[in-house]
Parts: sequence; structure tokens; C-alpha cells
Amino acid sequence: MSLIETTNLYKTYVVGDVEVHALQGVSISIERGEFVAVMGPSGSGKSTFMNILGCLDKPTQGKYILDGIDVTATDLSKLAGVRNRKIGFVFQGFNLISRTTAVENVELPMVYNHTPSHLRREKALEALKAVGLEQRAFHMPNQLSGGQQQRVAIARSLVCDAPIIFADEPTGNLDTKMSIEVMDLFTRLNKEMGKTIILITHEPDIAQYAGRLITFRDGQKVSDEVKK
Amino acid sequence: MIDTLLSVFRISVKAIFANKMRSALTSLGIVIGVAAVITMLAVGSGTQQSMSERFSRFGTNILYLRQPWDLDESISSPKDVTMDDVRAIRRLPGVEAAAPYISSGFEVKYGYTSTSIDVLATDTDIFKTYDWEIEKGREFTEREVDDYAQVAVLGATAAQTIFNDVDAVGKTVIFDNIPFKVVGVMKKNGQGGMGFDMDEGTLIPYTTGKVKMNTGWNKSDRRALDRVIIRVKDFNTIEETKEEIANTVRNTHKIHPLAEDDFQLDDFASFVEEAKAASKTMGILLGVIGAVSLLVGGIGVMNIMLVSVTERTREIGIRMAIGATSADIRLQFLVEAVTLSCFGGLIGVLIGIVATLVVAANSTSIPAQLSIPSIFIAFGFSAATGIFFGYYPAYKASKLTPIDALRYE
Repeated sequence: MSLIETTNLYKTYVVGDVEVHALQGVSISIERGEFVAVMGPSGSGKSTFMNILGCLDKPTQGKYILDGIDVTATDLSKLAGVRNRKIGFVFQGFNLISRTTAVENVELPMVYNHTPSHLRREKALEALKAVGLEQRAFHMPNQLSGGQQQRVAIARSLVCDAPIIFADEPTGNLDTKMSIEVMDLFTRLNKEMGKTIILITHEPDIAQYAGRLITFRDGQKVSDEVKK
Repeated sequence: MIDTLLSVFRISVKAIFANKMRSALTSLGIVIGVAAVITMLAVGSGTQQSMSERFSRFGTNILYLRQPWDLDESISSPKDVTMDDVRAIRRLPGVEAAAPYISSGFEVKYGYTSTSIDVLATDTDIFKTYDWEIEKGREFTEREVDDYAQVAVLGATAAQTIFNDVDAVGKTVIFDNIPFKVVGVMKKNGQGGMGFDMDEGTLIPYTTGKVKMNTGWNKSDRRALDRVIIRVKDFNTIEETKEEIANTVRNTHKIHPLAEDDFQLDDFASFVEEAKAASKTMGILLGVIGAVSLLVGGIGVMNIMLVSVTERTREIGIRMAIGATSADIRLQFLVEAVTLSCFGGLIGVLIGIVATLVVAANSTSIPAQLSIPSIFIAFGFSAATGIFFGYYPAYKASKLTPIDALRYE
């Protein structure tokens, strides 16, 4: 069984009197261990698609099975646990909690699954080590460079041993050198730890790191190619 | 569970300290409320304590006889309370002592010193009614009372004021242009009689006062007394003795059996009742003040928590994305509100204690007594305020959807 399986996803927003059809029948399956890049112009529906895959939003119609869980049949309020256990998020704007040290940011997902505090610290430091930031564990986000902040966010996405990492424009706020660093890290996580990585980007250079490229346009999947 | 609460608490403290000024101003209402409640409860219970101490110092077997201040119009010609009444009362078996009592303020002179003093004109029975003790010299005698002697027994504080450290016994002071010889000085006894403080006053024979002093006395009749102080022998039979006294006075006043009394006989029960009623009123007032300031403080907390939820919408989104449930978010903001108000409560408790100690140390007229339960009650109310007023903002935060919260700019 695929890790991610969507069948005919539709998402319709109502803005005032106008209906916006953000997704119009998207069916995709992603296997465990894949590194997928999702591209498309803005308004193509790729962000909506990612939000649904990330269990942050629900489709209007269609079916989504994540690691054997029927997400579409699960109440949105119950999805917090699914996000916690199955998914790690990496955002364009890093989204770290300010005035909170790197290691505490990394510990946060474990606070919500009630990991005992001594284990939390241990695992958080381990995750920071995996992204090469063990020296910066007790720095505040504003004392770290953009690349370092993004690596803290990646460590946070790893810490609950979630099989999937969703990365939404993770290099959008980074310069080229830092972008390469971050993308190399994703590649390593994919190859060495077997993480399934789904990456949204609009930069073809970044998409090159992925093994599979899905393109969206007007709420539909227009191409889906596996790199040889 | 405790582990989670602890982390949530740590996050709350961090959030509160991130906006020090704002948090401080927000909790100010609660600080004031709690401090006011503690201080005022302390003053309240101190007042009650000192009142009951005062009553026990008087002794509960004291009765007062006087003409009523608000005379019933049906009594056409009320008779004054006089020495005839005193003498009749003294003959009663249940009565230990009965002393006449006439008091007024006078100017007192000694050398170049001039001050005002409360003068109580009475006779030797006064020394048997109240538990006043002589420090130096002696009491005045029955003989001196009969002879209209110009002698005085001074209160401790009064003696100190007039004579400084000079021994007052044997010296002559002038009240109302009449020289009096000081025969004794009382021991300091703290809070004194009803309306007359022995420490600040002086005792003279009532005969001398009535006959030789022209001004100040409030009755034209030379025989009239302000009141009679009566000490009964046995507190357990005080009601019966009271009855006997009333009958005796009706007799001397020649009151018709069907007519109303033209006098009033009070015991301490009536004073205690009055004091209780006063302290109850004070308690209600304190309750209202405390409730209002906690209400205002609570609204402040609610307001700032709503601001905080809005400001931190994105943070809420991040927390939800990484696995926080609605309940987690609600708990987070609720704990934050409670922490904020308890923080205010704690400072309020400290200020309240300090204020109480300052009042207790600097004022003899306002006794303050810190009570531990009042501290817990006030602090408990501050926590309850946090829960009550923090719930709505916390609920509002928990109702955000992760996607809306994350997108919030």
C-alpha cells in the first residue's frame, strides 16, 4: 500500500459570491521513501494540495489515505495527533517560536505527544546533531542565520520520527549557498534515513534534487515524471 | 500530565516576561484588589480583636445607667440620674460598686505647660468598678470626696504630657482656674473606658467638680450625673441584677407602674452587638471593594489575553501544525491567563502583608492583624479571576483552524 494515496480530490473555496475551484480531481500516490517535488505557478493549487496532504485542511470531495488512515473520514480536531506522528513540516518562513532556544523549539512536538521531559531533551539534541547544529542548541532563533534556522526547523520535523516531511518553499528565504546546504540535508535525510520528502518549490534548480516531479496547473495535475 | 503542565507553565512565564511592561500593567488591577482585600481584612480582624480585648478589660460585669439620648416623647418629665440613684443602687446585694460619672474636657495648666484634658468627676467607687491601678501616690479618699477636696489622680499619658519626666505626685495643676493637688498617677492601661480614656484623662471628686467648677459641665442641675457605672458581683446573674437596679431606679424616680422607664441601663452585650454590626458592614464593604477591583483586573487580563491571541495567531498555527490539539492550545492560554493573574495575586499578597505591617507598626488607633486564611482566600480569588476571564480568549484561540492561523500575517 502506498504511503500517500489521494483519489479525485476537489477543493472549492467560496469567496464572497464567487466559487474558487482550487483543486479539480487530483489523484496521486506516493510511495514510502520517495523524494517528490511539486511545482506550478501561483494559483495552480499546489499549496492547497499540500495543505490537504499535510492534514492542515480537508478536501471538499475525494478521498485521502495517509499511511492507512482515512484522513477524509477523520475529524479535523483529531488530525493533530496524525500530524504529530506522521508529518514533519518545514516552512518557507522557518516558523520557529521566537524567544525560545533551538533545542526547545525542537522539543515542542514531543511536548504535544507527552514525551517525558528528560527524553525530550535527549532526542532534541540528537535531531540537532543530525542537522549539524548541536553547537547552536541553546541559541535563540534570532541569533541564528536563515540557513541555521531552517535546519532547526528540519530537526523539529525529524524529532517525532515521522515518516514524511512536507517542505513548503523551504529555500524561498535563503541565498544560494544556504539553499544548497538545506537541499543537501534533505537529500541525505531521504537517502540515509529513508524519509519521504514532499517539496513545494517554484525554482527548477531546487526541484532538481527530487527524484520525481509533479506539476500543477489550474487545480489539476498536468505532469508527473520520475527522473531516470 | 504534570510534565506537560510544567512545560506549558514554562512557556507561559516566558510569554509573560516577553512583555514585561504590559504584563505588569495588566496584573496591576489584580495586585491592587488582592492587596486591598488582605490589608482591609487584617484591619477588620484587628479591630474586632482589639474590641474584644477592650471588652474583656472592662470586664463584662459592668453596667451603665444613664438618661436616654433619644427620649421617648411620652415621658413628659424625665428625672435626672443623681446621687440618690447611686446610693440606692449601692445598697442592692448584687451590686459590687456604683460610681457617678460626669466627664468634660478642660484646659490644664502647669507652669508654662498648657494642654487640654478629659476630666472625669466621680467618687471612690470608680476604683472598684474599672481595673485601673495606681502607679505612684494614691487614690483619692471618701473623706476627700465629702470635703470637696481639690485633688486629682492623673492618667499615665496625661502625667507624662503635663509633667514630662518630673514626678507629678504632690504637684499642683490648674483645671478651669482651680488648683488641684495631684495625689496619684495611674498605671498605663492601654485602651480605656467607653468615651473616656484613663491614660489621657484625670479623675477628680464629683463633689468638687459639681460645686466648684462652673463651666464645662453639661447639666445645670448640680445633682445630675452623666451616668452611673455599676459593677455587678456575678456575671451569671447579671440579668436579675439588672432587673433589681431598674426597679430601684424606677422607685427613686417615682415612676408610675404603667409608665415607661425614663432611664436606660446598658450592658456590654449591646456594645458587642453594635460592634458586630459595624464590623459586618465593614466586611460587606471590603467584599465589594475586593470584588470590584478583581472584576476590573479580570477584564484587564481578558483584554490583554485577546490581544495576545491575535498577536500570536501564527504561533498558534505552528503549534497546531506540529501536533497541538485545540485542547492543548486552550490549556496554554488558560494557564497563561492564570499565571498572569496569580503573578498579580502574589505581588498583591506581598504588598498587602507589607501594608498591614506598616499600618500595625505606625498606628495605635488602627489595629491590624494579618490572618493566614485571608491571604489564601485573596490569592485564590486572583487565580479564579484568571480562569474566569482567561477562558474566553483561550477558547477563541483553540477555535482557530491550523491553516488560517498559519496564514495569518
